[in-house]
Amino acid sequence: MILFLRRTFPLILTFLFGVAGALQYYIPHPVSEAALTEVSVWLRIILGFAMILGIASLCHVHYAKIRTRVAGWGYSLVVYLSMMITVVVGVWSRGQEEGTGFGWIYTYALLALQGTMFAMLGFFVASAAFRAFRARSKEAAVLLVAAILMMFGRVPLGEYLIPMAGPVAGWLLSVVNTAARRGILIGISLGGIAMSVKIIFGIERSYLGGRD
Amino acid sequence: MIFSFEFRVLSCELRTRNSEPRRSTWRLFSIRSLVAVVFVLSTLHAPRSTLAVSLAPPEQFEAFDMPGDGGGSIGLSWQAAPFDGPTVRYQVYMADQAQGPFTRLAEFPADTHYKSDVDRPWWSWDRSRTHHFYQVKSTPDRRLESGRSYFFKVAVTDGMQTSEGSMQSAVPTPNLFNLAKVNNFLLMLLFSALVLFTIAQAKRHPAIFLRRIPGLDAVEEAIGRATEMGRPILYLTGSDDMSSLSTIAATVILGQVAKKTAAYDTQLQVPHRDPIVMAICQEIVKESYLEAGRPDAYRDDSNFFITNDQFSYTAAVNGIMLREKPAANFFMGFYYAEALLLAETGAGTGAIQIAGTDADLQLPFFITTCDYTLIGEELYAASAYLSREPILVGTLRGQDLGKAFLLLSMVIGTVLATIGGLVGTQAFVPLLQLFRDFK
Amino acid sequence: MAGKLLRMDRRVIFVLIALATLIPLLRPIGLPIRISPEVKQVYDYIESLPPGSVFLLSLDFDPASKPELYPMAVALLNHAFKRDLRVIGMTLWVTGTGMAEKVVSGIASEHGKRRGVDYTFLGYSPGGTNVIINMGQDLAAAFPTDHYGERTADLPVMRGVTSLRQVNYVVSLAAGTPGVESWYVYGKEKYGFELGGGVTAVIAPGLYPFLDTGQINGLIGGLRGAAEYEILVGLKGKAVAGMDAQSATHFIIIGLILLCNLFYFLTPRVGSRSVGRAQNRPGSPREAGR
Repeated sequence: MILFLRRTFPLILTFLFGVAGALQYYIPHPVSEAALTEVSVWLRIILGFAMILGIASLCHVHYAKIRTRVAGWGYSLVVYLSMMITVVVGVWSRGQEEGTGFGWIYTYALLALQGTMFAMLGFFVASAAFRAFRARSKEAAVLLVAAILMMFGRVPLGEYLIPMAGPVAGWLLSVVNTAARRGILIGISLGGIAMSVKIIFGIERSYLGGRD
Repeated sequence: MIFSFEFRVLSCELRTRNSEPRRSTWRLFSIRSLVAVVFVLSTLHAPRSTLAVSLAPPEQFEAFDMPGDGGGSIGLSWQAAPFDGPTVRYQVYMADQAQGPFTRLAEFPADTHYKSDVDRPWWSWDRSRTHHFYQVKSTPDRRLESGRSYFFKVAVTDGMQTSEGSMQSAVPTPNLFNLAKVNNFLLMLLFSALVLFTIAQAKRHPAIFLRRIPGLDAVEEAIGRATEMGRPILYLTGSDDMSSLSTIAATVILGQVAKKTAAYDTQLQVPHRDPIVMAICQEIVKESYLEAGRPDAYRDDSNFFITNDQFSYTAAVNGIMLREKPAANFFMGFYYAEALLLAETGAGTGAIQIAGTDADLQLPFFITTCDYTLIGEELYAASAYLSREPILVGTLRGQDLGKAFLLLSMVIGTVLATIGGLVGTQAFVPLLQLFRDFK
Repeated sequence: MAGKLLRMDRRVIFVLIALATLIPLLRPIGLPIRISPEVKQVYDYIESLPPGSVFLLSLDFDPASKPELYPMAVALLNHAFKRDLRVIGMTLWVTGTGMAEKVVSGIASEHGKRRGVDYTFLGYSPGGTNVIINMGQDLAAAFPTDHYGERTADLPVMRGVTSLRQVNYVVSLAAGTPGVESWYVYGKEKYGFELGGGVTAVIAPGLYPFLDTGQINGLIGGLRGAAEYEILVGLKGKAVAGMDAQSATHFIIIGLILLCNLFYFLTPRVGSRSVGRAQNRPGSPREAGR
């Protein structure tokens, strides 16, 4: 019975929902549309409950770190404190942001921290480019030239200095880049169908935890 | 019609001006004859629409439920008439009851709205130019309810006279299959069958060649190095949820990596952005430790959730990298802008880095900052490569055959479409439509 | 010497980038910006919509992408309100809710538009792409109330809009998933509205295949795209101001790449050409000091 519930039943569900999901695309009947809506509502509910799983894991891991006083346990304390403060202030503010403490945390903590993280990308791009963009081979040289052309042509200064740079960068984007991406997309899509077929027919079942 | 009317007025004026002198009468006769001859000749070459042809009501008028939809739509078609032209217009009327009242839905020139204008494939639609077509759809102001009869008329007018056709009724009905998508459906079945066939073949003949993937050869080396240095291994499954193919591939590879870390007794850390992915990975890692004969070494908190927020997650993982200095970082799955932040920080700590992603936009970042990068489909091939299981290897073979088929179709399609465009023929359209996406 | 320069402390590069960003922001030059066709297509489509048409702007980004996507939102909303379109704002990213609400209501009040009558902000609903499917079937089911607690179905701005089928134009300003691709796959493909996209520069190249096939009718990519849109609507804002800084940083990076290749080729060949990742093995002294 346990094996049925752990293996067979999920596989039956996977098969049924997989086949129904694929067929739904071809069935325009309102019943099919309604079923899709219903499933999407379920998914939204499941995703909501899954968050509880995540938060439980987060609390457990950081509690263990604080309890055993492992190196850097202070950061775990920061996690707990910031989570508690945000939740309490959020509930106190009834989820409203305008002129509330929750709005203050959003604007002056979250917004600033996230902006900082994204801004670091610019610095990291520069350092990675300096370290790794070297014409070690013919392929690397092509990559290098394409990168320089793109960076040159996508900014006003580049176009101001060489007016043709903009259209050349645009051509690279809309022709060369698009062609390459289409090739990758086809491969990815085929891989997607193959993986879906395996999952639907129960051939790939590692997501259930191992194979037996 | 318009021309003949003007001619009559002209002849009238001539007679009035020159009614008295006899010589003038003769002249008038000559002018009249000349004008009459010009008129007769001109009518021979004039467009058909300008003739004084009486308008006939639209023939073969049909109202029908539109095929392949969810209801709420009616199609109207009628035969194109000889007098169709820009000056003649068709008017479409609709009523809820046979007695009316009829309201006008549309009016358009008679040389527009043909059945051939509809973007549907030849196997589900008669794309002829011999019939006009108009589709009546539900709008916010006028809802067409499925299962209820609606009544339609089409009239033709040239501004002076109007001719109304017969009334037809139709019931909008939801359909169970969109025939326009049948090519898509068949291709899907074909490819699915191909994958299942190659898997079965691979089970019978498991010796299938797989080209070398250096990044995967390095997995063992990376784990060995981590063991030597006594440092953990950091494995990321990407930023997407479990519905993403790359995440599934990443979890499959995690199973293989976990077996090796179990064998080497190396610490494995898998921080997550998605709680469902975390739960599944916990099961996979547990199973791998069991298979490796080291269930005692398994730690439930090797998989842990951080947050589903992109940059908060990135900051936390970067913190782990900087504090715990893992000896090897694995970036498998799908990544967004955080790719470079993660990989560059990892490079800064001196870890061996192996990335595998189908996020083509992040590939340059991984290539420049990681030691090895699995590009696109190599990520999917990784699990087959590491495990050499016939099922996985067979799937790869199926994908390759599918790709070869698509490649061939694209080349042939491009050649035919180019020839068709140059020669101006529609002969290849039916074949090309087999590979088009229709709604 | 060249080898030493190749191993330059990356903090030097960080300082250079910081200066290249800061100086043009403090002292802008105002170089001319060429309008690209993909941005113009979004503008033209909004121009072609008659007043009263329904325009849905999905602000699918978080504060991290604010510098690139917020100016796009400002420019698009200004354009939509100028054209007297009915504007529906929403987000699929929970952390973007406050920011999205602020920009929608802020620009609306600048144009004297009334909440609920001329525009509304639906807020956030959990479920990612599933929300789009829900909206395609029944908009009021996906968002029973708007962000301000008013019943969606009763709002005058939603008159005649029961699902995505009645929306004339959707633009997703996205920093990832769910974003433009989700709106195409789960929205436009099924419910037939016209779709435009606005994305961060890092994901813009990935959307060009969708542009060519007509899956999206226009694309505003990165700060550059935002600046172009600002020029089109005649409202030079933060994006135009940031373009000089972007020019400078791009040129600094180009310079760094050229320098690094120069140093690379000046470095003696024997055993030192591979100063890259091949020697960046864990535990190496250089790595430790980096």
